Amino acid sequence: MSTLIIKDLHVKVGEKEILKGIDLTMNTGEVHAIMGPNGNGKSTLLSAIMGHPKYEVTQGSITLDGKDVLSMSVDERSVNGLFLGMQYPSEIPGVTNSDFLRSVMNARREKPLSLFQFIRVLDKNIEELGMDQNLAHRYLNEGFSGGEKKRNEILQMKLLEPKFALLDEIDSGLDVDALRIVAEAINSMKSDKFGVALVSHYERMFELVRPTHVHILVAGKIVQNGGYELVEKIDNEGYEWLKELGVEAYKEEEKAPILLENCARKEHQ
Amino acid sequence: MQEYGISSSYYVIIKDGHLFQGSFHDDIGYEVIENEHVFTFSNDRKLEVHFVYDCNEKDDYCVKYVLNKGVIVDIIETRILNNGASLNKKVILNEESELHIFNENQSHNNEEVYFDEDVKLLRNAKCEVGYSELASSSLKAKYHYELKEEGAQVQLRMAAMANDDKKSYEIEIGHYAPHTMGKMDNYGVVLGKGSLTIDGIGRITKGQYGSESHQTNKIIVFDELCNAKANPYLYIDEYDVKASHAAAVGKMDEEHLFYLQSRGLSKKQSMKLITYGYLRPVSEIIDNEMTKKRFEKMLSEVGDYDD
Repeated sequence: MSTLIIKDLHVKVGEKEILKGIDLTMNTGEVHAIMGPNGNGKSTLLSAIMGHPKYEVTQGSITLDGKDVLSMSVDERSVNGLFLGMQYPSEIPGVTNSDFLRSVMNARREKPLSLFQFIRVLDKNIEELGMDQNLAHRYLNEGFSGGEKKRNEILQMKLLEPKFALLDEIDSGLDVDALRIVAEAINSMKSDKFGVALVSHYERMFELVRPTHVHILVAGKIVQNGGYELVEKIDNEGYEWLKELGVEAYKEEEKAPILLENCARKEHQ
Repeated sequence: MQEYGISSSYYVIIKDGHLFQGSFHDDIGYEVIENEHVFTFSNDRKLEVHFVYDCNEKDDYCVKYVLNKGVIVDIIETRILNNGASLNKKVILNEESELHIFNENQSHNNEEVYFDEDVKLLRNAKCEVGYSELASSSLKAKYHYELKEEGAQVQLRMAAMANDDKKSYEIEIGHYAPHTMGKMDNYGVVLGKGSLTIDGIGRITKGQYGSESHQTNKIIVFDELCNAKANPYLYIDEYDVKASHAAAVGKMDEEHLFYLQSRGLSKKQSMKLITYGYLRPVSEIIDNEMTKKRFEKMLSEVGDYDD
C-alpha cells in the first residue's frame, strides 16, 4: 500500500495565489472525488502535484511513501508512481502513438520490451478501450476527437500502472458508451496498489466510479470533506449552498482580448 | 559507391565537375554543354536514380535535369560541397511529368557554400521535394520554383538544423498561370551558436485565378545564443486565390515537454522525441531505406546538449 500526503500546499501562478493551503491524504485502494466550481483550483492542484513548471509551490509539502515529491523532477514523479490524466492533452505532431508509448514504457524498465511484446500489450488495451485499431500509426493526439484524447490518457494509465492516477475531468467529451468503458478501465485497476483522484462535476461519473472520499475545493481551499452524499447534494443543488458556510468562490476571470500585433516576421536574436 | 551510401540501381557521381562514376539507364540521356551536365529523362516506367555531387573547390558547378513529357522520376541527391563551392541546378519538368526528389546535405565545413536551384514546371507537371539540411555546414541557398502553366503543382518540405553553423534559405514558389498549387513546409531547429534564416516567398501574379499558395515556416530555438528568422512573404496580385502562411520562432512548447515528462521521459529524451517528430516527415518523400537510415542517424545526433 502507498500513501500520498499533501500538507498545507500553497501554489501560485505568476503573481496570483491559487491554492491557499491544501491538506489531503490519499492511500492506494481509495478513490478521491474532487469537486468544486470552475476556476477555483482543482486542475491547479493536480498539475502542481505532477510538477507543471507554470505552478510555483510557495509553501507546504507533498510526500509519496515518505519521499519528498517537490524535490523530484516531473519525470521522476512519473517513475515513482504518479500519473496525470490531463484535461487538455497536448497534440504532438510527428511523434506516432506507438513510438511514444513504447519509449514511455521502456523508460521505466531495466530491460526494454521486445517489439512483439509491446504490440501485444498495446493491441489488447486498445481493444478493451474500444479505440481505433489504427491508433498506433497516428500522431500523438493529433486529429483526435476530445473523447479519443481522453481514452488515450486512460490507455497510457493502463500501460504505466501508476500508484496514484490524478484524472482531470476525464469524463468531458465522452459519450455514454465511452464513459462506461473508461469507468470500467478505472474500476478494473482498483486494488490496494492503485489509488485515484478524480476531478469531475458530474454525478454520472461518480455513479460509475464510486468515490470513497469526496472533497469540495473552493477558492483554493478544501471546504468540505465527506462521502457520496456530497456528490448527490451538488448534483441536486449545485454549489450555491456553500455560501452559507461563508465560502466565496473565485469568479471566472474575463479573458483579456488577444492582440495579434505583427503576424509576419518572427525573430529570435 | 559504398563511400556515398548508394543503394539505387542507377546512379551518377559527379566529383569536382567530372563524371566520376555512373550506372545509367538507357532512358537517361547525358551530355555536357559548356560546363553544364545535362541529364534528360525519357523513361516509360518510373525510375529511381541517385545523384551525388561531390564538389571540393571554390568553383561553380552546373547541372540540369530535363524530364520529358509524362515521365515519372524519383531522385535522391547527395550534396557534398566544401571550400566555398557553388552548385547551380536547373530543372525543367515538361507537361504531365512528375518528379519526387529527396535532397540531402552531407557537407561538413565552416566555409560558406552555395546552392541555387531553378525549377520550371509546365502544364500539369508535379514536383514533390524534401530537403534534409541537418549537416553541420554553412550554406546560402536559393530554391526557386516557377509554375509556368496550368495545373502545375509543387509541394516542398524542409528539415533544417543549424548547430554552430550558419544557414540561410530563400525559397520561392511563383505562380505564372491559373490553377497552380504551391505548398511549402519548412521546419528548423537551432542549437549552440547556430543561425538559421528562412525566407518563404509565395508569388501569385495577376490573372492566375484558382491558384493556391500555402506556407509554414517554424523554427525551434534551443539555446540563448542562437539566431533564428522565419520570414513569410506573400506577393499576391489576384483576388480569386487561396493563400495562407504560418510563421513561428521560439523555444520548444513547454506544454509538450511537460506532457512527455509526465509520462516518465527525461527532459533530454522529451526534447529529442519532439525534434524527431518535427523533422522526420521530410524523409518520407522517397521510400528508400538507406536515405531514411542516414536521415535518422543525423537526427539522433541532435540532442547531445546540456540541460
